[in-house]
Amino acid sequence: MSVRLNPDITPDLLASIEQAQQNQQTAIQQMSTGRSVNNLSDNPAAAAGLVGNNALSSENDQFLTNVSDVQGKLQTADSALSNATQLLTTAITVGTQGANGTLSDSDRQALAQQVQGLQQQMLGLANTAYEGVYVFGGTNVSAPPFAQDASSSSGVQYNGNSHVTSVQIAEGTSVQTNVAGSQLFLNSGGNVFSALNDLANALTSGNGIAAANTEVQQAFSQLTTQRITYGNGLSQLQSSQNFLNQEQVNLSTQQNQLVGANLTAVVANESQAQVDLQAALSATGQVLNLPNLLTYLK
Amino acid sequence: MGTLGASLNIAVGAMLTDQAALSTTSNNIANANTPGYSRQTVDLAEVSPVEYGGLLVGNGVQLQQVVSQRSSLLQTQLDQETQQQSKYNSYLGSMQQVQTLFNETSGTGLQSSLSGFFNSLQQLSTSPSDTSLRAGVLSAAQNLAQGFSSTAANLVSQQRSADMSVTQSVGQINSLTAQIAQLNGEVSTATSTGQNPGPFQDQRDELINQLSGLVDLSEIPAGNNSLTLTTTGGANLVVGNQSFQLATQADPSTGFQQVVSQGTNITSSINGGALGGAIEARDTGIPAVLSSLDSLASNLENAVNSVNQAGTDLNGAPGGNIFTTPPAGGTGAALQMSVAISDPAKIAASLDGSTGDNSNLTAMLNLQNQNIVGGQTPLNAYANLVFQIGNTVSAAQSEVSGSQALVQQIQNQIGSVSGVNINEEAANLIQYQQAYEAAAQVAGVINSLTSTAINLGHSSGSTG
Repeated sequence: MSVRLNPDITPDLLASIEQAQQNQQTAIQQMSTGRSVNNLSDNPAAAAGLVGNNALSSENDQFLTNVSDVQGKLQTADSALSNATQLLTTAITVGTQGANGTLSDSDRQALAQQVQGLQQQMLGLANTAYEGVYVFGGTNVSAPPFAQDASSSSGVQYNGNSHVTSVQIAEGTSVQTNVAGSQLFLNSGGNVFSALNDLANALTSGNGIAAANTEVQQAFSQLTTQRITYGNGLSQLQSSQNFLNQEQVNLSTQQNQLVGANLTAVVANESQAQVDLQAALSATGQVLNLPNLLTYLK
Repeated sequence: MGTLGASLNIAVGAMLTDQAALSTTSNNIANANTPGYSRQTVDLAEVSPVEYGGLLVGNGVQLQQVVSQRSSLLQTQLDQETQQQSKYNSYLGSMQQVQTLFNETSGTGLQSSLSGFFNSLQQLSTSPSDTSLRAGVLSAAQNLAQGFSSTAANLVSQQRSADMSVTQSVGQINSLTAQIAQLNGEVSTATSTGQNPGPFQDQRDELINQLSGLVDLSEIPAGNNSLTLTTTGGANLVVGNQSFQLATQADPSTGFQQVVSQGTNITSSINGGALGGAIEARDTGIPAVLSSLDSLASNLENAVNSVNQAGTDLNGAPGGNIFTTPPAGGTGAALQMSVAISDPAKIAASLDGSTGDNSNLTAMLNLQNQNIVGGQTPLNAYANLVFQIGNTVSAAQSEVSGSQALVQQIQNQIGSVSGVNINEEAANLIQYQQAYEAAAQVAGVINSLTSTAINLGHSSGSTG
């Protein structure tokens, strides 16, 4: 006698239908989401990798925002310094005129007044603010860093500090976002406010105009040198922006490698599952409809 | 030499036996789709011969017994595999719900609020005195705290629903063991009186298989086809025709129901069935996730707080806590996570005391790269948790599909022994039908022979 088999084949047939349906469902889900990993359990390692990838990508976006915010601040400061150097250029021209011995007292007074006007403009520039934040006060940003002070040799008083700040613009990379006002305008290697004050006094008195003019020239070259920090910062921001944009592309490529679905394969899986399902259904229909011995009993 | 009367008896006996066989076949066909039904076969035997004039003459056929075709070995294997399958199924059900709370592939989970918090600090570092950016940090911190606490609350409610299924399972177990005990009694009575206990065994096996879906069992044969059932941990469930009820009792510290048998807490020894799966999810699986979450929350809160305390806030005052101090030891930290301050000025961004300094924010941002959570960075600790959850679910899925295949295979084996094959029954039907017809024919012939004998000597009688 042959081996007896389980006469009830329905569970096996249903299991194969269910399997085919499941495969089809998986393929359809992968097609609709574009991802091969839709639950953590589909690929725990890839899901954990995705956590890191998403975090980096989100941080990257933040760095791009940081770059554009810092850019605004640095541009404001840089253009203020550019205006300041122009003021000094004007002062040098005025000083050169004043050094001409043929000038009358009243002419020199007029020039002195012009320099005092430049002093005022310079004070305004030194108190430049970006979005309510004074950019040349070191880290004292809430109040104007420079105030007029007749008792001081420079004619101003500095209320800021000498601290510099930096902001992260990429993983492990920071950019310096300020140069302290004292370093820019009251530098011992070329003091902007003292030079302008001395020039105004010299023009008023008629004495030491040439020496004062030299001071202004020194202040000009000092300020130009200090301004380079801002120029460097801006170009650093530009290259960081390029890097971050590239990084964003890399991260999304990486994300696709982690959890993205290979659409060609998924579409093939889907049609395979459909074929399997049809085969299973038709086999089940045929098998369940097979006649048995009773059919032939008359 | 036999008599015509004896021959008639043999023929009638054969007809009765064939009738019984036909009725068994009919019963088999009727029950072809009855769950748990084991096909029955008739055991036919010769009737002891009688002696006639020194010769032994055959005396017909008799129905010895009706036998249910079953394999108790296969049945036990099915029960054991069912215990595994149900356990992983129920565990998987809970853990799949846990997994959806952390589904980073669809953007749910804590990564975005963790990143959001640190990004808000990055943003503030570009302009530390900006009050709206400070408010942004507070709202990101609130978002993070809310993310942790709602995730933890969801986990606790998963635990509660597992706890509810513990109570339900115990109720179902008690109702099943009571029915099994009764059937056990009927099986042993039938066996001891020489009856076929098969139909009772079929019902009992079906119920034991249902019981296996709820709890892990040991089945111990106890004579007369009776079975003693205990949990694999040894707690009595059914002995003879008596069942032992399980009870539930709330654990005073957790509030979760413990399973009690005759005054003994057997919760931790239950290791199979839906009950075992629910207990494992409630007492092991979900607590592991909660404890990782607590550790992440409390370490992060403490680290952020202590950095903030080292700095100076916008008003020039020393910084305090940003998050409320987590419970010592961390248990419950995720659930209770909240932000301690509502004034944005109290974020201590500065180290030198000036409003434009962001050095303390830099220190806070550096926490991202420091191993402050059990030797890992906060994000790595979280990614690790995500991996663990995914891995747990994926392992349970493999267990379920593995035991599903085994259950199906054992069921096929059981079917090959006990299942009703319509073709086979049809063949039997023809066979017994023909035998019955033949016996009836014999009876007819004997009848006519008897008439012949009775009419012997009458002229009108037939000659022959």
